[in-house]
Amino acid sequence: MAYQPSEEEGAVAIARRPNSLFGALTTALAVAGSLWIFAIMLLINVDVFGRFLFGAPVTGVPEIVSLSIVGIVFLQLSNTLRVRRFIRSDVIVGRMLHTRPRAGHVLQSVHHLAGLLVIGTMVYFVWPKFIDAWEEKIYIGDIGHFTMVTWPILAIIVGAGTVTALQFAFHLVTDIRIAFGADHEDIGK
Amino acid sequence: MSEIEIGIGAIVLMILLIQAGMHVAIVLMGLSFVAVWMIKDNINIAGSLIAKSAETAIASYNFGVIPLFVVMGLLVSVTGMGRDTFDVAGQAFRKVKGGLGMATVAANAIFAAINGTSIASASVFTKLAVPELMRLGYTPRFSVGVVAGSSVLGMLIPPSLLLIVFGIIAEVSIGALFTAGIVPGLLLAAAYVVTIRVLVRWFPKFVSEDGLMDGQYDVLFSSREMLVKMFPVALLIVIVLGGIYGGVFTPVEAGGVGALGALVIAIAKRRISLPMFWNVLVETGVVTAAISFLIISAHMYANMLALSRLPNVLGEWIDAANLSLTALLVLYLVLIVLLGTILDAVSIMLITLPLVMPVMIAANVDLVWFGIITIIAVEIGLLTPPLGLAVFVIKTNLEDTRIALNDIFIGAAPFAVTMLIVLALVTAIPQLALFLVYLG
Repeated sequence: MAYQPSEEEGAVAIARRPNSLFGALTTALAVAGSLWIFAIMLLINVDVFGRFLFGAPVTGVPEIVSLSIVGIVFLQLSNTLRVRRFIRSDVIVGRMLHTRPRAGHVLQSVHHLAGLLVIGTMVYFVWPKFIDAWEEKIYIGDIGHFTMVTWPILAIIVGAGTVTALQFAFHLVTDIRIAFGADHEDIGK
Repeated sequence: MSEIEIGIGAIVLMILLIQAGMHVAIVLMGLSFVAVWMIKDNINIAGSLIAKSAETAIASYNFGVIPLFVVMGLLVSVTGMGRDTFDVAGQAFRKVKGGLGMATVAANAIFAAINGTSIASASVFTKLAVPELMRLGYTPRFSVGVVAGSSVLGMLIPPSLLLIVFGIIAEVSIGALFTAGIVPGLLLAAAYVVTIRVLVRWFPKFVSEDGLMDGQYDVLFSSREMLVKMFPVALLIVIVLGGIYGGVFTPVEAGGVGALGALVIAIAKRRISLPMFWNVLVETGVVTAAISFLIISAHMYANMLALSRLPNVLGEWIDAANLSLTALLVLYLVLIVLLGTILDAVSIMLITLPLVMPVMIAANVDLVWFGIITIIAVEIGLLTPPLGLAVFVIKTNLEDTRIALNDIFIGAAPFAVTMLIVLALVTAIPQLALFLVYLG
């Protein structure tokens, strides 16, 4: 579904150089998200086979899946942005980066600034919800059947959201450096 | 500014910013946030909407289908089941003129039943079928065109990521949508085969410059080999479609069992290593995050639209214009196909559905059928310039750089026309999509 990134290799290499430690962080989050997907896959199979073969389904699977999907998506978000696979229509930008690289990077820096602002706003407004859920021990499910507190998921949204906002900031800095900075020889690569 | 004007302004800006290459989810979230803030004149209402969307928009059991069917589709791709299907179909059609073209369609239709995205089909079959077609004397244009055209089957024949996204946004049963996609999908595949027959008969130069080599194709595999090749594919189809259609599994469970099944088959065939499986999981994460985050942003956008009262006003206009349902549908489908030439499939559905769903519900349109015709219309856009996504994927995967983007668009044109005809058919005869759904 996602567009293949049509960024020039040069720009990607530069984006990785100054923040490789940060890159390790986004990768670690993505690894956790990928393992979580695998765990959900196994859980569903244990439930299905438990039900058919032994008449013993696992309780709470729908609740676990519904909360997990939020965690999985936010854990993957910064890495998805880092490898430039956020869904976008890159025909015009791609062409500009080739024909008028400086203007292309300026346009792209606007996109990344917008991303930084939007994700930052989201984190800012989720934060109080996390505090509430933590202090009030808010949970989903039915008591006596299956319950699960919601603060870990909200913590993931805040934490992984912050990392994603930072990734937007790094992309932004990269674009500005290429457009206006000293890396003139990188333009048009 | 009135709330209606704010709503309209947001939509216009949205389309412009998406065209300018801004990330679609950021556009939807950012503009919805600002629009709600303006409508309510209170930033905290906009803030609680963005927080609520992040926390709850995708917190639903049904969203489990996205990563699970993506895992399954990717496993099926790396396992070489695409190649097996293509081999078997190639042998089945070997005696017919244009047979390998038809085999490409048939293999895609079967592959589509174990794999949820057009993109996966397009990339697998570009590498597989295009060199083989050209070797047998097909023109480059036809070779890439038939792959582009038939890759679209992946989105119509269940499991399908686009049907899942439609079901989530429109709140329609994903199982029912999957069932409804089967007959139109097979109909489209059959129509493609007829199209190839017509092209071979009346436009032979489009298909081949100096005569096809089809019909001299030797038998390459024994029946036993064919069975061995098809057994895993058939097994997965039975698990997924049989499970959902027979009411044994929810779509989420079918995705989970199907994914595990694909993994077991891959291990049994010794076609997967630990690093390959790890890549599958990582790629799944990327695809899942990209689509799900788009759905979160669409949730905000839908709420913003409701606050702007734009869907209500649109409904009143349509009432006042006294349009017949047919005229309304034709208008809608034309709009979708046109949007498909500039936006990608998921974005189109996210932007238009919250606007038109209330109108369609008021007109008592069957939403399952509505989903199927929406998907076909969106898919036509995948084949048309300037932004035919399927065509771009083929270009990326093409090893032969002499084939230009334009050649792919021209080659795909007959198939896009065929899709239009099938779209008209399914629109005129809803039973094509619905009779299986209401059978049980």
